[in-house]
Amino acid sequence: MDQAAIVDHQFRVAAYVISWCIQLGYLAWLGYRWRVQKRDTDTVSRSRR
Amino acid sequence: MKKAGFGLYAGLTLLMMAWGYYQAIYVAPTDAMQGEIFRIIFYHVPLFICAFLFFAISFSGSVGFLSFRHSRPEWAQIADAWALAGAEVGVVCCTNALILGSMWGRRAWGIWWTWDARLTTTLVLWLIYMSYLLMRRFAAGTQVQTLAAVLGIFGALDVPIVYMSNRWWRTQHPAPVFGGASGSGMDRSMAIPFVWNVFAWLAWGILLLAVRYLVERRQQRIAAAEAEQALAGHAVR
Repeated sequence: MDQAAIVDHQFRVAAYVISWCIQLGYLAWLGYRWRVQKRDTDTVSRSRR
Repeated sequence: MKKAGFGLYAGLTLLMMAWGYYQAIYVAPTDAMQGEIFRIIFYHVPLFICAFLFFAISFSGSVGFLSFRHSRPEWAQIADAWALAGAEVGVVCCTNALILGSMWGRRAWGIWWTWDARLTTTLVLWLIYMSYLLMRRFAAGTQVQTLAAVLGIFGALDVPIVYMSNRWWRTQHPAPVFGGASGSGMDRSMAIPFVWNVFAWLAWGILLLAVRYLVERRQQRIAAAEAEQALAGHAVR
């Protein structure tokens, strides 16, 4: 395998890894928002009583 | 039942993503001209397809909000939630695709970025939707949703310009692979893995869109309950 092919391979792996970091990071952030909202919903319903 | 359906869809999506990865790495042959870096296409193009689709959803939601904001406030809130979800997931996909494009460009052209027609119009699209999200995040007041809807509509007008840019102006970015001039296209051995990845990324994007929509609808309900509570407290005093 020549040097250019090795660098291409590294770039391709990095591109796929970066993609999954972005996508899963965003999903995790949405999950965090969901949990925070659940807490807020509980607070609102408690203060209503 | 809803949770089970959601779990099933999420599981199927992950299976499709795994299958798409297998197709992209092990089934599609290495490109004779570009070598392995070509495999970025299996993520780069589907991500842009997702971004364009979600910006179209944002556009529809924005139009819906402006149409219903006086006559049917509840419908308007639903439309606004779709508009925001579409814009945000679209920006995530667009950001990801721009980064991949830059990495591909570094290997194929020797540069990370150039002010080519396709790249520049895409950057403008990204900036418009980033400003949309920043406005939604930081601006306050009763007119924010209306202003955001107007911006969302104008932002979506850039999508056809981005799509047509490498047909109208021949600069650095390659000519369209699909739907381009005669002789364009992809060999069947690459096209099948490509189509699998498009479906997989669409399924993933729709999953993100649905979650973001539910988060926004919940946020609207919390805001409405808080406003109601504040008004009730004010009335008691």
